[in-house]
Amino acid sequence: MGDITTEQPIIEIRNLSKHFDDFEALRDITLDVHRSEVLCLIGPSGSGKSTLLRCINFLEAYDGGEVRLEGELIGWKSAGAPPRKPLSGEALRRQRQHIGMVFQQFNLWPHLTALENVAEALIHVKGLPKAEAMTKARAALAKVNLSDKEANFPANLSGGQQQRVAIARAIAMEPSVMLFDEPTSALDPELVGEVLGVMKQMAAEGMTMVVVTHEMGFAAHVADRVAFLEGGRLVTCAPPADIFGREPDDPRVNAFLKTYRERNVV
Amino acid sequence: MNFSFDVIWHNLPYMLAAARWTLLISVGGMAISLVWGVFLCAARISRGPFLSRIAALYISFFRGVPLLVQLLIFYYMLPHVGLDLPAVAAAILAVGMCSAAYTAEILRGALQTIPRGQTEAALALGIPTLSLWRRILVPQAIRIGLPSLTNELILLVKVSSLASVVGIGELTRISQNITGETYRPLEIYVAAAAIYFLINVILSALGRLAENRLLVG
Amino acid sequence: MELDLFVRYGPALLSGFGVTILCWIVGSLGGLVLGFALACLYRFGPRPLRWLIQAYVEVIRGTPFMIQLFILYFGGPHFGLLLTPVQAGIASFIIYGSPYFAEIFRSGFNAIPKGQIEAARCVGLSEGRILFRIILPQMLVPTTAPLTNFFIILTKETAILSVVTVPELLYETQTMASETFTFVEPFLVLSLFYWLMVIGTSWLGDKVERRVTRHLRRA
Repeated sequence: MGDITTEQPIIEIRNLSKHFDDFEALRDITLDVHRSEVLCLIGPSGSGKSTLLRCINFLEAYDGGEVRLEGELIGWKSAGAPPRKPLSGEALRRQRQHIGMVFQQFNLWPHLTALENVAEALIHVKGLPKAEAMTKARAALAKVNLSDKEANFPANLSGGQQQRVAIARAIAMEPSVMLFDEPTSALDPELVGEVLGVMKQMAAEGMTMVVVTHEMGFAAHVADRVAFLEGGRLVTCAPPADIFGREPDDPRVNAFLKTYRERNVV
Repeated sequence: MNFSFDVIWHNLPYMLAAARWTLLISVGGMAISLVWGVFLCAARISRGPFLSRIAALYISFFRGVPLLVQLLIFYYMLPHVGLDLPAVAAAILAVGMCSAAYTAEILRGALQTIPRGQTEAALALGIPTLSLWRRILVPQAIRIGLPSLTNELILLVKVSSLASVVGIGELTRISQNITGETYRPLEIYVAAAAIYFLINVILSALGRLAENRLLVG
Repeated sequence: MELDLFVRYGPALLSGFGVTILCWIVGSLGGLVLGFALACLYRFGPRPLRWLIQAYVEVIRGTPFMIQLFILYFGGPHFGLLLTPVQAGIASFIIYGSPYFAEIFRSGFNAIPKGQIEAARCVGLSEGRILFRIILPQMLVPTTAPLTNFFIILTKETAILSVVTVPELLYETQTMASETFTFVEPFLVLSLFYWLMVIGTSWLGDKVERRVTRHLRRA
């Protein structure tokens, strides 16, 4: 891993904080993501991992600190202390095109077919001609092994298939990073594998990914680094071997993984 | 334009007195609507295909014809068939018969949310059908349907204004009469609107109160 | 049965039917547009405007249509608004219907899962595009049934316009009844007429609903 540290990180998070009214959701988070890296965010529910992810593409407006994508500040017009002005809608849209996102609840648009879901932004955000957009959309669907389902409406797809269409919708935009917010949590157990398979393949092809997940197996085998959050703070960020090894350094990580293992023992 | 509150002030007592008739028509209509609505609802969901179809036809017809037309028919036709009711009674009956079609559907919707298991449990215990309805189904249906039933009552307050057309001295009719004498339609009708609005605000507050009571109890 | 009566009054009844349809369509479409505008203003407008809209909705829904009609038709001249019966009828129809339509659209807006809009923002769709491509087409699903329902209610409310001498169907029928001293037949036919109109509208609404929910059905 010596080579990636010399390169500029693709995402830089510096002293990030976020409040919801009186509740401190994130506190002083500093974290980098490098090109082609897979970073998994784990932690108990309410630890702030989803909020952190949603701050990266400004679905949540963070209060303090900075999030930068390839050096460019996300969401706000200027760095520095609040109050600061948010970017115009147009500028924010331009930034978001480079950040793909996959949601727990898929969030496909139910009145559009699988192909239309993928092609929508290609035509109306990237401004591609329709034929070219369709070709790209089909290629994206092929990547997630759903070429035969392009004419289906979401209601006629299984949860796993819907999530794969959602992944295709995001990768068709050719983003520089992909965010996954518990992508398999809403799926029946037998459908989890097909989604994780697609994600593994993306990782192998060098996509930069930030994944909030409860799939410890995925985190252990696919992630380059695992970040553990608790109570809105970053407790540790280390290669999976250090986190999932017999004796993690931090007692909090240990406790979390212990309850996790017990829950999963049948 | 000059808006004279004096005109309103002078005529308010007459209008408030007339509002009692408005209340009588709507509350009386609602009482008929509830009783008749329960029977209609029972007929509608009964297994007998004939009874069920008749009820469906009734509901469709009374919901499909303007209440004003129904009112005129009741008013002019009842004497034809030998029923010489006072105009107010005819109006209450017409409003109630029409509203029952809506109440029946409200109750039917509410009954559908009561788990089937309750009926099965009652049948397993050997509770007769009539008690099942009277003690178990109807009270729950009314409780579940209460928001819609409150709405229906508020609707009846508003449609009671149609009774003015057949000459009943309720709020709208009296407002028309006062307008005829004072030539101040704007003031009088705005005042009438305010009274209707007030009645409905009070009724919906009472409805919410009843809902809370029933939810606790 | 006095069929020749219906022949004699045929043209008048037909023109009454025309006026009923005119008032119904113009009035309800106008109410729909105004209601949609109110719902949009409510969703995107500043807070004081929201309160104003809320108050408007409550007041119009809390008072009888007939009184609204009277205020506009009889009270109108007192603030310089002189309307013919048909104009007053249509205008009050638009006002009367708008808050109900606004509430239907408002709950339609709320029925669309927030995540879908977030997903659209994530791929960079513009707010206008989101409104027209994501929100509006889907709003048809939860709103078609209540919209149909309210169109049906408005069908029947047209009868009230007869009170201010709008020459619609009920008015013409009443004229016929009083001129010929026959009551039963004209009113039975009239009832049938409204009933058919209502059944027709509800049939049409079902068709539309089936069409707009096509994508939700499992193959």
